[in-house]
Amino acid sequence: MSGNLLHRPPILRRPDGTGGALPALTLITLFFVVPVLALLLRSVTEPVPGLQNYAILFGDGTYARVFFNTFLVATVVTAVTVIVAFPVAWMLAIMPPALGSIVFGIIILSMWTNLLTRTYAWMVLLQRTGVINRMLMDVGLISEPLPLINNLTGVTIGMVYIMLPFMILPLVGTLRAIDPMTLRAAALCGASPFDAFRRILLPLSLPGIAAGGLMVFVMSLGYFVTPTLLGGTSNMMLAGMIAQMIQSLLNWGLGSAAAFILLLVTMALYALQLRLVGAKRMTGGI
Amino acid sequence: MTEPFLSIRDLRKTFGSFVAVHDVTVDIPKGEFLTFLGPSGSGKSTTLYAIAGFQHPTSGDVLLEGRSLLSVPSHKRNIGMVFQRYTLFQHLTVAENVAFPLRVRRRPDAEVKRKVAEMLSLVRLESFGGRYPGALSGGQQQRVALARALAYDPPILLMDEPLSALDKKLREEIQAEIRRIHRETGVTILYVTHDQDEALHLSDRIALFRDGRIEQIGTGEDLYLRPASEFVASFIGNSNFLPAEHLETVNGSATIRLADGSVVSGVRIDQDFSHGQKTRLMVRPEAFRLRPGPATAGLAVEFIDTAFFGERRRVIARTAAGQEIDVRPTSDMAEAHEGIASSRQQIFFDPAAAFLFPA
Repeated sequence: MSGNLLHRPPILRRPDGTGGALPALTLITLFFVVPVLALLLRSVTEPVPGLQNYAILFGDGTYARVFFNTFLVATVVTAVTVIVAFPVAWMLAIMPPALGSIVFGIIILSMWTNLLTRTYAWMVLLQRTGVINRMLMDVGLISEPLPLINNLTGVTIGMVYIMLPFMILPLVGTLRAIDPMTLRAAALCGASPFDAFRRILLPLSLPGIAAGGLMVFVMSLGYFVTPTLLGGTSNMMLAGMIAQMIQSLLNWGLGSAAAFILLLVTMALYALQLRLVGAKRMTGGI
Repeated sequence: MTEPFLSIRDLRKTFGSFVAVHDVTVDIPKGEFLTFLGPSGSGKSTTLYAIAGFQHPTSGDVLLEGRSLLSVPSHKRNIGMVFQRYTLFQHLTVAENVAFPLRVRRRPDAEVKRKVAEMLSLVRLESFGGRYPGALSGGQQQRVALARALAYDPPILLMDEPLSALDKKLREEIQAEIRRIHRETGVTILYVTHDQDEALHLSDRIALFRDGRIEQIGTGEDLYLRPASEFVASFIGNSNFLPAEHLETVNGSATIRLADGSVVSGVRIDQDFSHGQKTRLMVRPEAFRLRPGPATAGLAVEFIDTAFFGERRRVIARTAAGQEIDVRPTSDMAEAHEGIASSRQQIFFDPAAAFLFPA
């Protein structure tokens, strides 16, 4: 027996990975954490030390409107994305795997295409003399071009299009875990297709909707390119305003304060998402 | 003749060139427990799905009290069903699952509450109302599914291999529950299984499916004691098939010659055979005796192996023609055991309890 002790293999140490993660951690510290702290510092020191930048942002109606508009756009985009993504995700979930992977590929491919290119394409499609307006007029459905660009409609269309994959992917995961037999059982129980959707499918897919929805909402809050190109000056969003403050007005203090608020809101929402998803895990995924 | 309660008429379902269900016709009286038994792919589930409304038959009809169900969507058929897989709604408690069919029917709260309590007590899960399905065992989940399927007093309950995911002991326990519930509620049950023991244990009648057709329909005894074909004989219970040559038939009683040359007469037959036709004689393992009786035929065998099964001993014997057969003598177990010492001997069977099928 004592011989065994001598030959016992050394206790295996789990590699803790600190060595390998060092370059990435350094990069994030240098180019994210430090600049964010610098931003925070600037927001309370420029032009003079104090909280006056935050007072201006919260006190001035113009800025309040930008905040409101940002949340409005993010909310509308999230809602529309959920509605548009759900049928696609359901189709993907019940499709034969071979066909599903092709459709999946198309969705992923759209994510890989350059964002700016896609947004410019929407400008061409949506403008007064654009393809969509001209087609609708040719068919005779409308006599005047619809205002599809430089307003909330344009921003919503452009952003929903970009956000769709981020909603579809988590939703497909959740929907695939639902046994289609469950819906047949609901039907035999007397549930009409609408009842089965509302009382069974929708509640069961809530974790996926919450995960995708929060992702889309948070991404929408800080979006810059699409709202700037497809939105009008009257519905400026926070990111656009920050860019303007810093690039045109050179007001680093105010811009920093706005950016810091955006960061705080984003982080708060992320914490909320962690809590919700975490809570789901605790109750066994129900 | 009175109108049958549930009637399946010339039901046919094809998938491309494959015929899954081949003109199946069955009449089911009210309150009957009918089992569709058969190997997988024999069309039994497809037939059940046509009744549930999940499959639209290619032709034929399903009539409930004389009215066709085919144009009625699943959710309006008012049929109860328990599935093979667990299909409880995971986001609802046990009580809410059972209440679900009543809620979608917009029944008043008081009635829902009373009915849920009644159903949970029927499946003996009174104290589980507040739990979520994820916290229940497989057997408990299927009992909740049963309560949910019966909550709205459906005239028909469909069960699609509901016990196949459970282990043997639990299966037997729930079989007893299902029998009791059938007795207490009087609901008409259509049950699908590939397990012959389950079918024999539960059903009033069994419809044995093969390749999309009903091979034979009748009580368990009918199928066991009077199999219509070799397939039925081999699917229900255990059987030995001895190659034999048909010699002559007089008044429905045949004389045959077995492979070892011995001649047996008095075999009951339901069909015509020609002289010299190759046939197979089916003898149940438990039909063999170690002692001769009146009108028994003898078979020279050599005992090879014996195994003890509690209530019964199983003996593997080899005939003089070299075929291994299964022998399970009922009463004289000890002798069967001793028999292995004197390995060569005669065993006996009643030709009237044996069946002759074409080879």
